Amino acid sequence: MPKPLLTVLSREEALEIHSKALDLLSRVGVRFEDPEVAKILLDAGATRSNGRILIPEEMVSEALKNTPKRIDLYDRDGKKVATLGDGALIFNPGSAAIKILDYGAAEPRTPTLEDLKNLVLVVENLEFIEAQSTALVPGDAPIEIRDVVRLYPILKYSRKPVITGAFTAENMPVMLEMLRVVREDAWRRPFTIFDACPSPPLSWSKVTSRNIVDLARAGVPSEIISMPGLGATAPVTVAGATTLHHAEVLSGIVLAQTVSRNAPVIYGGSPALMHPRFGTTLITAPESILVSLAYRDLARFLGLPTHTYMGLSDSKLIDYQSGAEEAYSALLATLAGFDVISGPGMLEFESTQSLEKLVLDNEVCGLVKRVSRGFGVSVDEIATEVIEETVLRKGGNFLLSPHTRKHLRKDVHIPQVWDSTPRSRWSGRSIYDEAHATVIKILKEGSYHELSPDVMNELNKFYEKLWMKTSSKPKYV
Amino acid sequence: MFLKDLKEKLYRAVIEGDPEKALSYAQDLVLSGLDVRQIVSEVLAPAMRTVGEMYEKGEYFIADLIASAEAFKQVFDEVLKPRLASGAVSRGIVAVFGTVRGDIHELGKNIAKALFEAEGFEVIDLGVDVPPEKFAEVVESREEIKVVGLSALMSTTMIEQEKVIEELKRRGLRSKVIVVVGGAPVTEDWVRKIGADVCGDDAFRALKKVKELLGVA
Ligand code: B12
Repeated sequence: MPKPLLTVLSREEALEIHSKALDLLSRVGVRFEDPEVAKILLDAGATRSNGRILIPEEMVSEALKNTPKRIDLYDRDGKKVATLGDGALIFNPGSAAIKILDYGAAEPRTPTLEDLKNLVLVVENLEFIEAQSTALVPGDAPIEIRDVVRLYPILKYSRKPVITGAFTAENMPVMLEMLRVVREDAWRRPFTIFDACPSPPLSWSKVTSRNIVDLARAGVPSEIISMPGLGATAPVTVAGATTLHHAEVLSGIVLAQTVSRNAPVIYGGSPALMHPRFGTTLITAPESILVSLAYRDLARFLGLPTHTYMGLSDSKLIDYQSGAEEAYSALLATLAGFDVISGPGMLEFESTQSLEKLVLDNEVCGLVKRVSRGFGVSVDEIATEVIEETVLRKGGNFLLSPHTRKHLRKDVHIPQVWDSTPRSRWSGRSIYDEAHATVIKILKEGSYHELSPDVMNELNKFYEKLWMKTSSKPKYV
Repeated sequence: MFLKDLKEKLYRAVIEGDPEKALSYAQDLVLSGLDVRQIVSEVLAPAMRTVGEMYEKGEYFIADLIASAEAFKQVFDEVLKPRLASGAVSRGIVAVFGTVRGDIHELGKNIAKALFEAEGFEVIDLGVDVPPEKFAEVVESREEIKVVGLSALMSTTMIEQEKVIEELKRRGLRSKVIVVVGGAPVTEDWVRKIGADVCGDDAFRALKKVKELLGVA
């Protein structure tokens, strides 16, 4: 079946970058801030030089051999929803925004738990955003548990898989426990993926390296998000940043596999060009995107499941720039065939979420997924018989053909919010206003999937204890 | 004439961010008898001012700025400082910068450092994940420190900025320094709330404000 596929590296080029990355790992090595984590690798055959951990090539090859090539992803209720490893195209909201942009506002504000609940309800009703994420950091929750509480409204209202992450080492076990309250086998048949970033160049913080260790032990998928800052924390050249990125992700894979053989790991990333004048981190700069496309090929070459931060915008408003950046990055991500694509809703260098943008981005996700699905070339689809019949006997009018009616439903993508009306039926409203109307409608009438009363009860107990630990009264949403 | 030529060459080398050339011209200038203080005021300072202007006009990138600041720093530390009377050992006003405890984001702090250095500050960089006690200790240890810059990028680590201020107060050091708090989540409200002095959500504006408060603008 013809299906667009975008690759940028030839096999030779991929091999070249891979071997250069192996070389970096074995000669320059990686710094682990946490001596205990460093020890895990030292005990398994790595060596230490000048405080850096040198990882020999054999350790990397062994780890790659043991890394699962496919990961089954479930929903909250235990139903399998996707297999990662073959370009599953699971879009999910860009995560952990520290701000939310309200409809009509010029300045974003600090979000609340209530905002997060609304975001969860919106996403639950958007067809092409197939996973939730802990997308807002609620300013009205105690600082110590701001990462954990984000799971609450998601678990409560949504069935979709969840992309998430911890902000401290201590909270990772808490988040993992919380999942088991909802479903006993939530680790073995996972519905969550946890992001963990190395600190470029070639270093791991205490927090995120311990996160990887805990995740590997639990058998819950971790997503290694290397974030080379082109021209700041990484070479400014695409090839240089890609090589550094690759080495960092490999170091995370080695750590996970050393802790627990066959631990599920996703090859992820969020490359960002540092703007030469403003210092801002541009996730949608062409150079950043090229790094993502290149590492996608490296992961393909190694047969690993993949993730990227694309399908988002660095703009501050919902405007021409936000639409253009969203669409071009989302399209490239789908054509390259990533499994998990984090981004929708996101603005301003991964700092701001917008409900209206989520609705609009859902449209983009639908369009690009349709393009990436390609088309069939069966006899029925090539349709010469239909052409002959219609030309010779139906006056050339394909509207009259049953073939048209059948394939319209199957093959044609019809946008929901995008404006395709003739002027006579046009609402006169901008697409931004339409998106807002959709948000309001979803919040009023949308469907969501609550937990059974028993499980809900257990979740509330867990939640209450969590807040009590910080001596505060739980906020229920 | 010879002196003027050398001064011009040093000026150019700093603007071009070429430490090697800058060092050698500075050495020559010292050998030809020019006073160390004059080298700073007549060559290095004007060069850095020009670099700053070129940056503001969009002709220079941050990387260019950093290269010039580095050339300036090397000339100062290696050629001029050893010849200065003891007592005046800093390049300029001394600031201590760091990313707060629990946070490892350093891009913003590094840019701020480069900008401050380009304006002649001496910045002591404590790195990332720095506990409040460390900031206070350093401030306590050096009389000339006038500025404390705290970077926090996460809404969950901003609170550490407040803790640093508390620690400074506890040790009676608060009034000695200007506290700048930077990072994307920082707002004017937050600055007021925790009793900091300058909002560093934009390093360029923060620099101007700090200089105003120090009376060196
Ligand atoms: C780049 C980045 C990273 C890089 C950092 C690389 C590095 N060496 O610095 C990496 C990949 C390592 C990283 C890691 C993580 N990150 Co991060 N990261 C970012 C990102 C995208 C950009 C930050 C940045 O560098 N901006 C560019 C600089 C130039 O801007 P700036 O810092 O604001 O600085 C300007 C001003 O504020 C000011 N300034 C700043 N500091 C100072 C100081 C002084 C003295 C002065 C005067 C001025 C000043 O000057 C600058 C120029 O004007 C932000 C999103 C965002 N837009 O903020 C997320 C973000 C901050 N990260 C986030 C998260 C969650 C993480 C992780 C926890 C993810 C994980 N689970 O692995 C880890 C941290 C783990 C840990 N604690 O160990 C969240 C925070 C959520 C929250 N809790 O509030 C954010 C908001 C992204 C998101 N939406 O998820 N991250």
